[in-house]
Amino acid sequence: METSKEKASKDKEYADFEEKVKRTIYIDHLSPQVTTPVIKAALAQCANVTNVEFIVNYTIPYDIPSAALVELDDEMQAKAAVELMTDFPFIIGGMPRPVHATHAKAEMFRDRPPCPGLRKDFRWIKQGDGEYEVMRKLKNLAKRHESENMALIKNLLDEEKELAKQQQEALNGNGKKYEMLEDVVSDGTIRKLAHHYGVRLDD
Amino acid sequence: MDGSNEQIQFSWGKLRGKGGVKMDTQFYESFTLDNVKYSLYDCVYLFKHGDPEPYIGKILKIWEQNRSKKVKILWFFLPKEIQKYLRGSVVENEIFLASGDGIGLADINPLEAVAGKCTVICISKDERNRQPSPQEQAMADYIFYRVFDVKNCTLSDQLPDKIAGLEVKVLLNPKDELVISSPNAVNVPLNPNADDGLAATAPPPHSAVKEENESPDAAVPLSHPAAKEVAAKLPARVPLSQSVVSKEEQKPVAVIPISESVIKKEDKKSAAAISLSQSAIKEEEKPVASTPHPRSAVVENNAKYTQSQNAHGGERPPKKLKLSQEATVKNMIPAVTETRPLELPSRQADRSKWFKISWDDKLRRADEQGTLVYIQNLDIHFAAADIEELIREALQLSCTAKPINHPTYDDPNNGKAYAIFRTKNDADSAISKINSGLVVGGRPLYCSKGLLKVPKSSGTFVGHLSLHNIKIGQKQREEQKKAVSTSHCSQPNTIEYDLALDWMLLRAKQEKKFEILHKHHKDGRKGFASIGSKTAKAGN
Repeated sequence: METSKEKASKDKEYADFEEKVKRTIYIDHLSPQVTTPVIKAALAQCANVTNVEFIVNYTIPYDIPSAALVELDDEMQAKAAVELMTDFPFIIGGMPRPVHATHAKAEMFRDRPPCPGLRKDFRWIKQGDGEYEVMRKLKNLAKRHESENMALIKNLLDEEKELAKQQQEALNGNGKKYEMLEDVVSDGTIRKLAHHYGVRLDD
Repeated sequence: MDGSNEQIQFSWGKLRGKGGVKMDTQFYESFTLDNVKYSLYDCVYLFKHGDPEPYIGKILKIWEQNRSKKVKILWFFLPKEIQKYLRGSVVENEIFLASGDGIGLADINPLEAVAGKCTVICISKDERNRQPSPQEQAMADYIFYRVFDVKNCTLSDQLPDKIAGLEVKVLLNPKDELVISSPNAVNVPLNPNADDGLAATAPPPHSAVKEENESPDAAVPLSHPAAKEVAAKLPARVPLSQSVVSKEEQKPVAVIPISESVIKKEDKKSAAAISLSQSAIKEEEKPVASTPHPRSAVVENNAKYTQSQNAHGGERPPKKLKLSQEATVKNMIPAVTETRPLELPSRQADRSKWFKISWDDKLRRADEQGTLVYIQNLDIHFAAADIEELIREALQLSCTAKPINHPTYDDPNNGKAYAIFRTKNDADSAISKINSGLVVGGRPLYCSKGLLKVPKSSGTFVGHLSLHNIKIGQKQREEQKKAVSTSHCSQPNTIEYDLALDWMLLRAKQEKKFEILHKHHKDGRKGFASIGSKTAKAGN
């Protein structure tokens, strides 16, 4: 069905695509407020961003953080960027939750060209066939796996919320502490106290 | 097949002289691109691939060397680009001429990057500058009277003697008053008269791949000055999604043969990314029937122009076609070339593909009509074309499909895709057939109808903490706003470092959990596969 020319062009296309995949990194745990220019600016310190594609959530029925596929100039930059973000907590958007970066994989791209040489054989199996039972069980297994996956995701999201709550409380506590200090200093109470206790303030 | 003819009209104007090291460079005084005449020192728009907003520049030099055509552009700055150095007030439509030396003064660009002309009037009181008439000033797209020195980063209203090696005099207002035609007078014949180069009449959009392709409702694209007017009027240059104003997208070409088919230019990539306003455009075009002849179409357009101008308020002049075309063509090729050769007989009927509709919209619409099927348990390496081909071979039905995945959370064993069939019956029969026993590469597929309910992502983000109860002064509030866009690697001496580490720890734990689960699944499946083959052998 395919002429050799078509096949050659498809191969080339896939090869180009693979090149692109190598240059692209996948950033996760992004705030929904993060936009393309923000990512570009963020990565400007270690890499030049050619393209940013946000991943739209079609399948996960929960409120998950954003993710994006970021295409850089070349593979070296991609490696450097991923290393940077794995070794150090890299924060986009100034808030404590760091982003997570990995190298992109071909299946992450929605608009990918067909992989040449992929097995696409199919079979029809009917009730009477020997394999039918097996396939049915396999199907059920797959469905069960799917729901297990979802359950795990939900569990993880809940954990994240817990952590966030914890951190927020700690932060509030600290904030109040500093506020109190500031108030005390600003309205002179501290000087009086120091005088009272005979403690030198300038230390 | 004669694919889309991307030849945008081009011709050289007056010769200027030869130069270059090997005397192989030919300089010119003017050129005509897409039926618009550009001369030296004209002000033009340039689009950079990837940026939704155009840059404004003045043509300093035009030449051709080794068959590549180039222009040297002296840049203008928008107020927001030099906001840091701006002091005092900014006049409406004011831009700033670059001066001095260094990066940002001027650039050499391929000639094809020029996307249109604009009128920039100098209102400086400098004696070398011919004072513009009030009408000229009002009609101009932009005005300038200040220069920005790119080296010292300073603003000044004193014009220097030379900029970019040229006498400043030639960069100021030209001797004759520009004949600025009102953008609404685009009813004027479409042929931008070559002589009347200064009159920025409606140059057919760069995208006019073949003129027949112009949609009657290409309100935004057609009149370039119109588009500019919109731009000038709306100082809030809303950076829109990249695809938004791609002219080529807006062409419901029903009758014209697919050769230059608009399909090629469907920017599916962007569709997913940001498509909200895009869908608004799409809605508008759909009902409009297409007429082959562009000229009459244009006249029609201009009537609609004002109305759609309001509707499209905030739209930017179309992106540089050539560059985005390449991107979109590349995207479409996998999906389209697969289906086209096999579907020749049914092509005429497949009009749904000719309408530029974003994938999101397609999904929603299909869901409403009952033609949407959600297929699971595919191999995750399948691409859109693979899936479509598979469906065609297995079911003899045609559909459009896209694999969907969310790399962070998705099960690598279970690939999913949405497929949109042509009719509800098709979808129903597909579902029943697939569910009853289609096995692909050893994996039994299963599917269901309709769109998964996915909640819209809330604007807040778990883990973004805020300090409450702090009296924040005006300045600090601004800084906080800016803080959203600051990014850095956290240093170990701040509180946020500890917090950040907590998160990293949590994430590492999560990854491990996923790994374990997915491995478990994989093993489970393998177990089955072996059982399956055993029974098959036993059965035979």
